[in-house]
Amino acid sequence: MGERTRQVVAALTGLGLGLAALGPGLAPGFVLSYDMVFTPDPAFTPMTFGLTGTVPRQVPSDAFVTALATVIPADAVQKLLLLAIFVMACMSAASLVPTPRLLPRLAAGVCYAWNPFVAERLLLGQWALLLGYAALPWVVASAARTTEKGGTRRLVRALVPAAIGGFAALTVSGLAALAVALVSAQLRGAVRVAGVVAALSLPWLVPGALRPAGVPGNGTAVDVFAARADTPFGVLGSLLTLGGIWNGETVPRGYGTPVLAAFWLAVVLGSLFAYGRWCREPEWRRGAAVAAAAGFVLAALGAVAAPVLRGAVGLWSGFAVLRDGQQYVAPLAVVVAVGLGVAADRAITARYAMAAVGAVAAPVLLLPTLAWGAAGDLRAVHYPADWARARKIIAADSAPGDVLVLPWALYRSYPWNHGRRVLDPLPRYLNRRVVVNDALIVGRTTIAAEDPRALALAPAAAHPDAATLRDRGVRYVVVDSETGKYRPSGAVPVLTGADLAVYRIDGAAAPREDRVPAAPVIVAWIAASVVVFWSFLASGTTLGLPLLGSIRSRSPDRLPHHSRRAP
Amino acid sequence: MRIAIAALVGVLLAAGASFGVVQLANSSQKDPVIKPMYNYGAP
Repeated sequence: MGERTRQVVAALTGLGLGLAALGPGLAPGFVLSYDMVFTPDPAFTPMTFGLTGTVPRQVPSDAFVTALATVIPADAVQKLLLLAIFVMACMSAASLVPTPRLLPRLAAGVCYAWNPFVAERLLLGQWALLLGYAALPWVVASAARTTEKGGTRRLVRALVPAAIGGFAALTVSGLAALAVALVSAQLRGAVRVAGVVAALSLPWLVPGALRPAGVPGNGTAVDVFAARADTPFGVLGSLLTLGGIWNGETVPRGYGTPVLAAFWLAVVLGSLFAYGRWCREPEWRRGAAVAAAAGFVLAALGAVAAPVLRGAVGLWSGFAVLRDGQQYVAPLAVVVAVGLGVAADRAITARYAMAAVGAVAAPVLLLPTLAWGAAGDLRAVHYPADWARARKIIAADSAPGDVLVLPWALYRSYPWNHGRRVLDPLPRYLNRRVVVNDALIVGRTTIAAEDPRALALAPAAAHPDAATLRDRGVRYVVVDSETGKYRPSGAVPVLTGADLAVYRIDGAAAPREDRVPAAPVIVAWIAASVVVFWSFLASGTTLGLPLLGSIRSRSPDRLPHHSRRAP
Repeated sequence: MRIAIAALVGVLLAAGASFGVVQLANSSQKDPVIKPMYNYGAP
């Protein structure tokens, strides 16, 4: 079997896993779950590029989705992106296993694409983070070879999915790449990695740094977003088994029951043992192990040493990126997956082929509730007709003024979305500046709002009346939940549906808002785009092959059964 | 090649089995309407 065939089989397996995982989410419509918000016919707005003064967490992933949605329907874009995560994850992890055999590679691919990390982040709607996660094995392989000829370009290509994912994805992949480069390619390689990551971060780094209100960092959120136990093995055991997400509502049903969790823990420990004992890949083996260990420490930090992290956030708010620690177990997932593949390879050598077949099936059998849209939690829905009417009314109005959204909260449990929590989609759905209260309510804790416009409008939103809102530059008030309960006094109702109500405020003043200057952001986009184009144009190849070629062994004599060909 | 086909069939069977289990579990449940309505989640 040729190398190309092995890649195709891995890709098809990933596709099968994606189809099985998404299930009802693949029907026409949008899957709306926590942070995952896709809207029909999205448009490029200042928010898409982080110019409105809010924290640019949606940059550049929203721009990527909007660009794709100009060619194909937005709901198809969502499905393509979600399936691409599974395909890439399976292919990239499979490509790392140092063997020409297919079965061990599939064991690694299935393990990497189907595990508690993927399930929990998918339920939390963090598709952008998962995009970077899916390509992380390629990043690991590339980071070890940055100092070779063409190594920097290869690293850029491997980091493109994380760069599209944005802030969180690039932080996780960048830190992992840095650790691998420091171990495998020494300081020179690490400097190149840092340069590449910085260049690809520019689209969100520049608007974030130029944000008039500065970089927010809230120490109280350390406890809220710290990893938590979702198995009987405590926080550290849960992180080791690639779970432990902060949000108890995004744990797949049935995950963590003692029997299944014990089997899964045995698989993880066995994989780690196999990795340490039998993985002989000379280039990235140690680097990946160090990245996994460092990631595990970062993941556990908020749970076992909260005061340290709180102090760090207090010193510099940029450390707030470490609050949601569980995402840093991603490099550990790479090591576990490769370890499982190596163990399967060993089993075949010892003529226990059925054990290898078991290794392929184990991740799915031990986490069955990721299937069928995570047991029906991820379902495609259509936005109510009232939403489209509201958009039409507001788009047809040329008068200045922002849109204020009530109820004054960021997340919703719409009945039409089966009660599933989701980030309010209106800021992406409407083509005007939409002000929502971006304070987060987690359990009994409230994390303060970050958007200066939301902070300024908070008193008016508590008792909405047309006179006050008019002075503050609000043209429309949109009520998208409990529509009968909220009605701004003195405003003109222009749409009163069961799912949405729109009120117009005549004579609204032009809104006053400190925005991020556009010119530096445009320069940042050009610079990052040039780096990406350079990485592809200079090599004269397509997206897939250079990434896959990046794991080609430099020293085949050390791996006698290694039969990969050059890209 | 036979092993590869067996592995793929295994994955598909596992997915099918899990789908069946989930459908059974779901058929006995109502739509979960999570309260309170405006929370991001709970630790």
